[in-house]
Amino acid sequence: VKPDATVWLYARLLRLYPAAYRARWAEEQARVYRSERRALSAATGGERLRHAAAAFGDVVRSAAAERVGVVVSRWHARGTPSRHAARSAKRRRNPMDELRRDVRQGLRTLSRNPVFAAVAVLTIALGIGANTAIFSVVRAVLLRPLPYTDAERLVVVQGEMVNRNVTNWPTSPPDFVDYREQVTLLESLEAVWTFSQPLTGADAEPEQVEVAAVTPGFLPMLGARAVAGRLFEASDAAPPPPDTPPAEGPPAMIVLSHELWQRRFGGDREMIGRTIDMFGNNATVVGVVQPGLELYMPPGAGLSQRIDVWFAPRIDAATAPRNNVFLRMAGKLRAGVSVAQAQGQLDAAVGRIRAINERAESAGLTQTLVPMQEELTRQVRPLVLALLGAVGFVLLIACANVSNLLLVRAAAREREMAVRSALGGSRTSIIRQVLTESLVLAIPGGLLGLLIAAGGIRLLLALQPPDVPRLETVGIDGIVLGYTALATVAAAILFGLLPAARASRTNLASVLKDRGVSAGGRRQARVHDAVVVLEVALSLVLLIGAGLMVRSFMALRDVDPGFDAPRILTFNVQVPGQRYPEAEQRYQFITGFRERLAALPGVTAVGAATPLPLSGVTSNGPYGTEDVLSDPERMRQAEVRIITEDYFAAMGTRVLDGRAFTDADRSDSVRYVVVDEVLARTTWPGERAVGKRMMIRFGTLDYRPAEVLGVVEHQRSASLAAEGRETLYYHDAAAGGPGGLSWLIHTDGDPVALAAGVRRVLAEIDPTIPITDVRPLQADVNAAMGPTRFALALIGVFGITALLLAAVGLYGVLAYTVRQRTPEIGIRMTFGAGGGSILRMVVRQGLALAAAGVGIGVVAALGLTRVIESRLVGVEATDPLTFIAVAVTFLAIAAVACAVPALRATRVDPLSSLRLE
Amino acid sequence: MTDRSEDAAGLTPLAFDILLALAGEDRHGYAILQEVAARTVGRSRPHAGTLYRAIARLVDAGWVEELEERPAPEEDDERRRYYRLTAAGRRVAAAEARRLEARVHVARGRNLLEPGLS
Repeated sequence: VKPDATVWLYARLLRLYPAAYRARWAEEQARVYRSERRALSAATGGERLRHAAAAFGDVVRSAAAERVGVVVSRWHARGTPSRHAARSAKRRRNPMDELRRDVRQGLRTLSRNPVFAAVAVLTIALGIGANTAIFSVVRAVLLRPLPYTDAERLVVVQGEMVNRNVTNWPTSPPDFVDYREQVTLLESLEAVWTFSQPLTGADAEPEQVEVAAVTPGFLPMLGARAVAGRLFEASDAAPPPPDTPPAEGPPAMIVLSHELWQRRFGGDREMIGRTIDMFGNNATVVGVVQPGLELYMPPGAGLSQRIDVWFAPRIDAATAPRNNVFLRMAGKLRAGVSVAQAQGQLDAAVGRIRAINERAESAGLTQTLVPMQEELTRQVRPLVLALLGAVGFVLLIACANVSNLLLVRAAAREREMAVRSALGGSRTSIIRQVLTESLVLAIPGGLLGLLIAAGGIRLLLALQPPDVPRLETVGIDGIVLGYTALATVAAAILFGLLPAARASRTNLASVLKDRGVSAGGRRQARVHDAVVVLEVALSLVLLIGAGLMVRSFMALRDVDPGFDAPRILTFNVQVPGQRYPEAEQRYQFITGFRERLAALPGVTAVGAATPLPLSGVTSNGPYGTEDVLSDPERMRQAEVRIITEDYFAAMGTRVLDGRAFTDADRSDSVRYVVVDEVLARTTWPGERAVGKRMMIRFGTLDYRPAEVLGVVEHQRSASLAAEGRETLYYHDAAAGGPGGLSWLIHTDGDPVALAAGVRRVLAEIDPTIPITDVRPLQADVNAAMGPTRFALALIGVFGITALLLAAVGLYGVLAYTVRQRTPEIGIRMTFGAGGGSILRMVVRQGLALAAAGVGIGVVAALGLTRVIESRLVGVEATDPLTFIAVAVTFLAIAAVACAVPALRATRVDPLSSLRLE
Repeated sequence: MTDRSEDAAGLTPLAFDILLALAGEDRHGYAILQEVAARTVGRSRPHAGTLYRAIARLVDAGWVEELEERPAPEEDDERRRYYRLTAAGRRVAAAEARRLEARVHVARGRNLLEPGLS
């Protein structure tokens, strides 16, 4: 039976009962709940949720009743009851009955005011729903430990080249071995990188699989286990003797993911020890890992998360060059060792590497240990916390609204309360009555809020923000339910507090004697006003946040990425080196493929590149002018893109000066580069870049000169939001001949319509080569807008909710004032005041409140919008235009909210209003 | 929601249901809950918190007594505390049943329980 998180939470919740009661009953009660959950284990998620919510509500309710009972019986036992209490003690022996009476009284009062009850419950439900939904994200993304053993001790090592402004820099095998030996405070230090690879087989379609190359200790470090066969051993990664031809080398040892094993091999245990058709039909399966094992490395490393095949590469660190970097490092701290202690050892190790490698020294290489989970969520943490703050505001506003509604009603019930207290209701009993009514409102609000949250989570997942790790695991579990229960009770106390305090202060004499606006009434009005000002201020902060996100989204939509995404179809076809071992064969293949693609109807250009802009993968390399020969610290880092001749034509990227590569450059390709306008501008300001010589390091270990052939428009690559790094283009032939490329087809029609033709063409040439990731390039652009869209959608929804709540709150308070002041208004009208002046009087009062709230809100927003700064595009966090526009809009809406009660005031009939008096 | 009105004996419908559940045999908490739910066809299905507050009051009133914990055969043999109706509890339940019966008698006499009218 699946463990049920709510059972745990239920047991914790039982602490709400008084200690004596708990000692006697709690254990049995928890057992009954456990039995109920067991009986429900086959029920649907919705039923289980409803049951848990009802059972939790039941605990809160009965625990509250029990506690009230204890307090009351203690009070009675003190032997100093007031006259009223003594009388009531005689009348009702059982404290439980009192609570029941309070609840019944509360329900009765509410049923007399169904509209009030509905508005209040809905308001609370919105606040609780928004909080529950966002808290479930906080829980899944930030709080829940990674699904690895001792996850809190796992760290990643983040490389940086400070002098070249490069982060997420990988490391080389010899450096890795040095770190592993020297940083002894790490229990383990392992390395990984990922790539994709075709998997072919006699009786199945070829498919592209995601491969993670790992050091043998990597999987055990994560706590992975083999469900068949075994995990890697050190010997699996032993390098072959030097000078062994690749074809005669030892086999590649691989471990299958449980999913691939099931999907492609039918879960066959006989697979262990077999050879499969990967890495040139020379891969031996040694085991299968448990289901659901995923690779959570920092987003900046660009590693795949879903791994099909784990592979132990046979790298000889002794002969591998220090400047060939591709390893991502992760490690585990020894128990009791802090990150800072291990960092000290790592710094020393980096220092030794910088001392022996002049390039690491000149680039300013550093390595930083970061807890794995922290690094995984670093980018998204500020946004998620900002959202948590936003929904906290929404809940506060909702509470303020309900509080004001209750205050208005409390005023209306002033006489009832006064009479009750005259008839012997003690102060505590009145407070208890009011707080019980709050709970009677809050509990259905909380339950409805859970439903709203469930729907909200579904919407949130549909938005699919690409940079929120583990979002797919968001859901309502025991912890989230507990948070909801807490938020509900807190809300009830928060919005019940003012009305309760108010009710208990009711002065009998003044209420019964003074029929007009009492002194208490005026103080009361000030409380209403303060609550409304607070509401306005809170919702204004949210609206300004939403306004900034709208500006960002519009700015992003207008960004020219430097290519014509809507007309391009892209897909991946990797020419397998085993099938086409010679560069010339691969060239023949891609030339033939390209010609047949170009012949498809509607195709205007065919190109290929690796990697594609906005694909989530970036690749970069060093360059400089000839100055770097004397001063290597002047080396800079550019994005590097390997392209075929027609890449710019296929992308719709303009060639600004000089020319692009042609087929004729193939034989001499290593001597030429194409640069983008950013590189040309920053390297040779005010000069023509074409024909200039630069120093590059590409495919070789030493710097060599190259000539600039042409300058092209800048393409946005790492992100759509920022201009990004300068780009350096190399000819495909310079990269050692055609390899794995992403293809691009520019068409004059709908790019998606071309997909079938592309598949047909490839199948005709070579049916064993898989084609993957067929999609319009616009999909990548849309995905790049995902983070902004996500933040906009959420902050927008919360901002508008807050605005509506604040408008309702403003309306409620003014409507109440108008009712209170009806006699005064009647007198004014009797003495000749026109409708216009009455209207102005009420609207002025409302706008004064709104303006005060707007003022406070603007000041607060100046301080608070910084938290979403990282999400803003083309707009400052304190953009005056947005601030002014939102404030003015808000005042306009406030004016409308005031106008309704104001118009009602002008229709006051002077005579009947005086009769009221 | 069940009818919470009380009668002279101070028995709530849930308390009466619990006494009825224990009238036949000793039961543990979950078994009481199941019995009540089954007998009322799910119309009255209290949650554990409400159930135990009611049991607590019945125990305090001396109408129900707690027995030792013992394994529950139908529930994985996990140990459970069983409850038994006391003689006083039996009298109270019987009095309540008789009072209800008297009312049912009146209702029948006034044709409230004719087929098709329920």
